[in-house]
Amino acid sequence: MARTDRGGERTGTGVVAARNVSRTFFLGEPVHALRDVTLTLEEGSFTAVMGPSGSGKSTLMNLLGCLDTPDQGTIEIDGRSVGDLSGAERARLRGREIGFVFQTFNLMPRLTAAENVSLPMVFNDVVDADRRERARTLLERVGLGDRLDHAPNELSGGQRQRVAIARALANEPTLILADEPTGNLDSETGREIMDLFDELHAEGRTILMVTHERHIAERADRIVTLVDGQLERIEDVSDVVPSGPTVLDDRDAPTEPDGGEGA
Amino acid sequence: MRIRESIRISWRAITGHKLRSTLTTIGIVIGIGSIIAFMVLGGAFEEDVLGGFDTEDQTLVLVQTQGEVDGGFGFQTFSDPIYTQNDVEAIERIDGVEFVDPDGTIPASQVRRGSETTVSFTVRIAKPASFSKNVSGSFVAGEAFADEGEAVIDTELAESLGGNVSVGEEIRVTFTDGTRRSFTVSGIYAAENQAPGTGTSVYVPADPYYNVTVDTHRGTEAIAYSSLTVWVDSIEDLSAVQSAADEYFHSGESDAEHLVDDDKQIAVQTFDALLAQVGEIFDQVTIFIAGIAGIALLVGAIGIANIMIVSVTERTREIGIMKAVGARQRDIVQLFLVEALILGIIGAIGGVMLGIGTGYLLVGYAGFPMIYPIDWIVIAVFVGIGVGIVSGLYPAWRAARVDPIEALRRE
Ligand SMILES: Nc1ncnc2c1ncn2[C@@H]1O[C@H](COP(=O)(O)OP(=O)(O)OP(=O)(O)O)[C@@H](O)[C@H]1O
Ligand SMILES: [Mg+2]
Repeated sequence: MARTDRGGERTGTGVVAARNVSRTFFLGEPVHALRDVTLTLEEGSFTAVMGPSGSGKSTLMNLLGCLDTPDQGTIEIDGRSVGDLSGAERARLRGREIGFVFQTFNLMPRLTAAENVSLPMVFNDVVDADRRERARTLLERVGLGDRLDHAPNELSGGQRQRVAIARALANEPTLILADEPTGNLDSETGREIMDLFDELHAEGRTILMVTHERHIAERADRIVTLVDGQLERIEDVSDVVPSGPTVLDDRDAPTEPDGGEGA
Repeated sequence: MRIRESIRISWRAITGHKLRSTLTTIGIVIGIGSIIAFMVLGGAFEEDVLGGFDTEDQTLVLVQTQGEVDGGFGFQTFSDPIYTQNDVEAIERIDGVEFVDPDGTIPASQVRRGSETTVSFTVRIAKPASFSKNVSGSFVAGEAFADEGEAVIDTELAESLGGNVSVGEEIRVTFTDGTRRSFTVSGIYAAENQAPGTGTSVYVPADPYYNVTVDTHRGTEAIAYSSLTVWVDSIEDLSAVQSAADEYFHSGESDAEHLVDDDKQIAVQTFDALLAQVGEIFDQVTIFIAGIAGIALLVGAIGIANIMIVSVTERTREIGIMKAVGARQRDIVQLFLVEALILGIIGAIGGVMLGIGTGYLLVGYAGFPMIYPIDWIVIAVFVGIGVGIVSGLYPAWRAARVDPIEALRRE
């Protein structure tokens, strides 16, 4: 887990912020995926994002993860506007400082689990032996130590999700963006993954996590709710009343609208 | 990204689609294969004709009848008997000429040695002195004939007559006019550096066996030969003799220029000039083959580019993933260029193997020695690499520009 794995210097992501960000897609009718969203992620903070399907959660993640650029407003990482960075600098941020767990996993279909986890390190010039060692460690950490050489199509949905999580941690990112990381997991595995996120949080990393489940969201410091592309509210978890006894039916389909947070 | 990683990843993409990758490289394989095969054949031909001897030191001038080849490259040599004894004597009077060796064949149907006979052979006339000139080879046994009862045979004929022929043995030649004649073998000659098809010969003195005659423009009947080899005293005299002889055959005085067919010319050349002429034909054919090969390579390049574009489209999602986990544009360019490069190198190697294999078969069929055109093989591999890079540029550029967001939304 040594941070000396990486070539070059770390810049860290520091404070990550979206300032008055809008994002509109044009598919015939314009779709306003995000409207004037302002959100600041303090260094080391843990934020949960909730909101119904189509409310713009993944769009926000993509913007903060330097994969997409806003139509209006700015994304700032450590005080620098992402729009001012070159393509190579953005790629470097994505590769070294940001760990992305995609809602749809986005694993390379022809690579094994271990190779998928190694991929970010390949682009970061980590030597072969170190990569393999680290991929094994990470996969063991998400409970897949016995699936190193399986291709994604030989893994269950939940296992793929955990490979995606392990891959996001490959380069020891300072910012972790996780889009429903427990969406496909049973409550037991989900809890283990949440414990992992707690550990990552304790290590001082900045975490933003999309979830549809209130009790999962409550493990964060803050809960941000998006509705229709707009920031509806930001709650500090210490302020809110815990949402009753946790129902153990965790396996909501991720695409299902989740209006249950309106209490 | 390290090159080694790109090679590993690209290699997987290539071996993941074996059939497609194979088809892609076929254009390059054929293009490079045809160049190499031709170079093997050409080099082998040259090796067979020249055998590595030094053409510049040959103190001779060749007088031959040449004409165009119908619908083909270059020229053809004819053996019409037009060079009369009168011409031979005129040339021998030129300063610096050592002697003239007229060439002609005597029609014959059979040669026999004891119980061995062969019908595929040629009776050629020669002067004893011409054997001592290194252009045509050397004696493996015996020496040139000293009188009309003796003959020299070449090693190929000796083989056809059962081999192990020794000097002093008798051979019987049946001429086409029905006469038969016994000769004592005075020497066995290893004829090197001959043009293909001139082997298996008996050499006899022209007098008294050669009696091909023509009617000259002067109204006389004269013995005539099909070509002349003019031996020159020293290399310094070569060009003077060549121009003097050339002048003679175009002065109106020679018998030959009156006998030569209208569509043919009398060529008076040094050995060097003759080889240069052959070389020129060779160059023309080379350009022709290079043109065909160039087209095949172009098709090959388009094939690679096409497959790579398909592959970029197919792998858009994967490109998106790689970008999302930190691949820069240049990493993606590198990946696809390496893939095109590997295809180019595979095509070049396949082409070289195909070319050498085809060349080997053709050379064996033509009876030439096999040669390996190393310089062309090296060039071919570089051409393959070049074609790979050029055809990979555009697809790689397209791949690098893939928008990760759009790519990741693909199913
Ligand atoms: N690349 C795109 N092109 C066109 N429309 C898009 C694109 N990405 C997102 N959208 C639209 O933007 C809106 C927000 O999408 P987004 O994926 O951010 O929703 P989400 O909150 O993540 O939903 P879910 O909970 O279902 O994942 C949707 O209406 C979607 O159709
Ligand atoms: Mg989403």
